[in-house]
Amino acid sequence: MAEYTDAVHANVVHEHKDHAKEHLREKHLMLDPLPRGKMNEMVMESMTTTSWKFWVVFGILSAIVAGCLFYVWGYMISEGLGVTGKNRPSYWGLFLVNTVFWIGISHAGTFISAILRVFKAEFRRPFTRAAELMTTFGLVQAGFSVFMHLGRVWLAYWLIPYPNQRMLWPNTHSPLTWDLLAITTYLLSSTMYLFLPLIPDLAMARDRSTGWRKTFYKILALGFRGTEGEWTHLRNAMTIFAFAIIPVMFSVHTIVSWDFAAATRPGWNSTIFGPYFVVGALHSGMGAVVMVLAIVRGTMKNMKYFIRGEHFDAIAKLMLIISMAWAYFFFNDYMVQWYGGDKWTHQLLHFHEAGPMGWMWFAMLIFNIAIPWAVLWNQKWRSTPWIVFAVGLLINVGMYLERYIIVPVSLSINRMPFTWRLYYPRVEILLGIGTLALFIWLYMAASRLIPLIPVWEVEEGQMAHELKKFGRETVVSVSELE
Amino acid sequence: MTDNISRIEPSGQVSLLAVFPDLGPAADAIDKLRALGISDDQMNVISGVPVTEAMLGRPSQWTNVPRLAGGGAVLGFFGGAFLMYGVPYLYPYPIQVSSQAVIPGPPTVVILFEITMLGMLLSTFLGVFLDSYFPNYRPMEYVKEVSEGKIAVFFKCSPESKEKITKAMTALGAEKVEVAEVEQL
Amino acid sequence: MIRPEEIKLSADQSGKWGMVIDQDICTGCQACVAACAMENNISFVGEADSGYGRSMHWIRIERFWEGEYPEIKMTPNQPMLCQQCGSATCEPVCPAFATVHSQAEQLNVQVYNRCVGTRYCANNCPYQVRSFNWRDYKRPEPLPNQFNPDVTVRRRGIMEKCTFCIQRIHKAQDKAKSEAREVLDGEFTTACAQACPADAIVFGRVDDPESLVSQLAHRNHGVKHLEELGTLPNVTYFKGG
Repeated sequence: MAEYTDAVHANVVHEHKDHAKEHLREKHLMLDPLPRGKMNEMVMESMTTTSWKFWVVFGILSAIVAGCLFYVWGYMISEGLGVTGKNRPSYWGLFLVNTVFWIGISHAGTFISAILRVFKAEFRRPFTRAAELMTTFGLVQAGFSVFMHLGRVWLAYWLIPYPNQRMLWPNTHSPLTWDLLAITTYLLSSTMYLFLPLIPDLAMARDRSTGWRKTFYKILALGFRGTEGEWTHLRNAMTIFAFAIIPVMFSVHTIVSWDFAAATRPGWNSTIFGPYFVVGALHSGMGAVVMVLAIVRGTMKNMKYFIRGEHFDAIAKLMLIISMAWAYFFFNDYMVQWYGGDKWTHQLLHFHEAGPMGWMWFAMLIFNIAIPWAVLWNQKWRSTPWIVFAVGLLINVGMYLERYIIVPVSLSINRMPFTWRLYYPRVEILLGIGTLALFIWLYMAASRLIPLIPVWEVEEGQMAHELKKFGRETVVSVSELE
Repeated sequence: MTDNISRIEPSGQVSLLAVFPDLGPAADAIDKLRALGISDDQMNVISGVPVTEAMLGRPSQWTNVPRLAGGGAVLGFFGGAFLMYGVPYLYPYPIQVSSQAVIPGPPTVVILFEITMLGMLLSTFLGVFLDSYFPNYRPMEYVKEVSEGKIAVFFKCSPESKEKITKAMTALGAEKVEVAEVEQL
Repeated sequence: MIRPEEIKLSADQSGKWGMVIDQDICTGCQACVAACAMENNISFVGEADSGYGRSMHWIRIERFWEGEYPEIKMTPNQPMLCQQCGSATCEPVCPAFATVHSQAEQLNVQVYNRCVGTRYCANNCPYQVRSFNWRDYKRPEPLPNQFNPDVTVRRRGIMEKCTFCIQRIHKAQDKAKSEAREVLDGEFTTACAQACPADAIVFGRVDDPESLVSQLAHRNHGVKHLEELGTLPNVTYFKGG
C-alpha cells in the first residue's frame, strides 16, 4: 500500500473532503485515478522487482518441470503406457482428466476478457490480461496432457490435416479430430487475443526500459506508436476477437464434452453434457482466476492499487451464479439419468455415490455447491481475497473430482460386468504435478516479462468514470468512450 | 538527437509536433491548425489511450480489418468444405466407418465452424499487421510522453509559417512545440 | 475408382462372415484362447499386468456365478470376442482411420500401423473386447520360435482386436480363386473354432442361407449381445437351449 498512498492522498485531499466520495475512491480503482506516468512506473516496477523468494520458487518449479514432466514423460514414452495405472476398462485415466481440467481453467480468461468486454463490465479492466494469460498457459498444459495420453505420441502429426504421402487424412467423423481443430483454433486465437491489447503496453515498456528489456520490448511492440490508424485497426480487431472468440470458447468445451457424450456408454451418452461441461469449465476457471489474482496481489509490488476488494467481489458474484448454474445442470443430468431406468445407468449412478470412490462424489457436491453458496452470499467475505482464494481452491478441487468421476470412475463400470475393475493412477500423478508446475512456471516468467496490468485500459476506464450528484447522493457514472 | 536544425522535407515542408496534456486542448489545436490552412491529411495524432475520431473532430479512419476478417472467414469456410467434401474424393476407395455416411452431416457443421473461425481470427490478426505496417523497426517520429497520457499532434507546414503556428499552439496549451525528430523507437 | 456416394451403408446389409457360439456345450477349457494367441502373435503379458486388467487375449471366457456364497450357481461360460459389428461404435471415433469397416469382407478391421493409441475405440466398444499394447512385452522361450508369419507383430501403444482370422479368410479365398471356384462352407475356420474340442464355435458365411452357421443362427433361441444398441453384431450366442 505504502508506495502509492501519498499520491492517492494528495488526490483525495486536493479534490474534496466529502466522506462518501472518499469512501468510493478507496473502493473503486476507476474512481481513484493516478497520472498515467505513475501507473506506468508502478507496472514497470512490479515487473522488475523480484525477491529471492521468487527465484527459490522458480528454481523448485524448474526442477519439478524437468523431473516430473520431461523426465517422466520420456520414461513413459520409452516404456509404453504400462507405467501408468490404466487398464481395461479404464483406457482413459488421469491424462484426460487433466486435459479437461486445463481446458476448463482456460475458459476463465476468455470469459473475463471477451464476455465482460462485450458487455462493457468495467471491473474487468485491471485483470483481463492476468486472466488471458491463464487461458494461453492452461491450453499449453491441456496440449501436453492430451499428447501424454497418446500411445504412440511420436505419430501425433498424423492427426493434422495436410496433404501427405500416406494418402490418408484425419477422420472427420471423430470427436477427437474436432477436438484437435477446436483446441488449435482456441489456442491460436486466445494467444492472438492476448497479444493485441498487449501491444500498447509493450510500447509503453519499450519507452521506459534499457538493456535487454529494451530490445525485448522493441521487438514485441512491433514499432507501435499509437497513431490514430494503429488504434483504429487495433480496436476493430479487438472487437472482432471479443465477439468471435466467445462461440469458439463454447465450442471447445462442448466438443470436449462430446468426446464423452458421443460414446455409447452408460453415464456418458447424455445430451446435456455440452452446456454442463461449459458451465463446469467456467466454474473451475473462475476459481482459478481469483486464486491467481490473490497471489498476484499478495506477492507482486504495487498490485494492491490495481487489484482491490471490488474485483474479488465482482468475480465472486459470478462464481456464485456459475455455481448455481452448475448445480442446475448437474441435477438435470442426474435426474434424467435416474428417471431413464436403464439398468446400466442405474448401476453407474449407484457406483458413483456408494462405490469405493463415493467420497469423491460427496466431496464434489460440497466443494462445488455447498461451500460457494454458504460463503459467497456475503459481500464482506466476497471482498476478502483470502476467503475467495480458499473458495476458489476448493471449487477447483471439486471440479477436478467431477472430471475424475466422469472419466476413470465411470469407465470402471460398463455393460460387460466381467471387465469391471478399478483404476489406480501411477505416473500420471507425477505428470499432472509436472503440468501444474509448468503452468505456474510460465505464469511466473510472464509476470516478470510482460506488463500484467493493461495500463492503457485502466486509464481509459478512469477517464470514463466520474462521480455525479443526484440531490444529496453521490453516485458513479460511466461514459461510453467507444 | 538534440540538434535543432529544421529538417526540410523534400516538398519544402517542415514536420512539427505539439504535445498536449489533454484531449480538449488537442482538439482545439487541430481546429486551429485547420484554420491556419493545414489540411487533415497533413496531420497525425499519437496517443497513449485510444482516442476516437469524434473526440478530436478528425475524419474517420479507414481500416481494412473487418474486410480482411470477412475474407479470412470465407477462405476458412472453403478450407473446411474441402476437408469435408473434397478429401473423401481423393481416396481411391472411400473409407467407411460404422454405418455413417462417408460425408457425414452434423460433423460437417462442426468442422466448417471451427475452420471458418480459425480463418477469420487469423486474418483479423494479420489485418492489424498489414494495416499498421507491423512489424516496423525503422526510425519514426515519436515522443515518449504519449505513453504517459499526453497527446501529440504531428503536422507539416511551410518553414515560413512555423513561427506563427508555434505561437498559436503554445497559446492553446501545448507543453512543447518542436521539430519532429525521427528516432529509433 | 469408387465415389463416396456409391458406398452402400452396412446398416442395410446382413454382414458376410459370422459366428455361432453355443454356451451350453462350452466347457471353459480355454483352448480357443490359447489357439487365438498362437495364431495371431498375441503378446505374452505376464501375471502382474494380466492381474491388473491388461491381458491382451482377443477372446476371453467370461465366467459368472449367481447367488451369495456358499449357495452359488455357475452360469454357462461366455466366450467373448469382437462381434464384428455391422455398425460398429469403435470405428467413427478413431481420429486416424485406424479402425474402419471393410467393404469387401464386411468386417471391422484394425489397421495397426495407422493407430496412434488414443484408445477411444476401446472405450466406445460396448463389448470391451479391444486390447491395448501397454508395453513391449517380452516373450519367454520358446514362444519367440512360433510366430505366425501371416500376422503382423504389434508394438507398444497400439490397439488390437479379433480379426475373425482374416489371414485365413484371405488364404482360403486366394486358393479358391486359383482353382476358379467359390470358398466352400467349412473349407477353413478360425483358430478358436478349430481348437474348440466341443465344437461350441462355428464360423462361416452368414449371407449364405445354406451354410452351417446360417442355419444354426436362425434357430430360434439365438441371441446377439447388446443388439439393442444398434451395433448389428455378427456373433450369435445360444444359452439354455
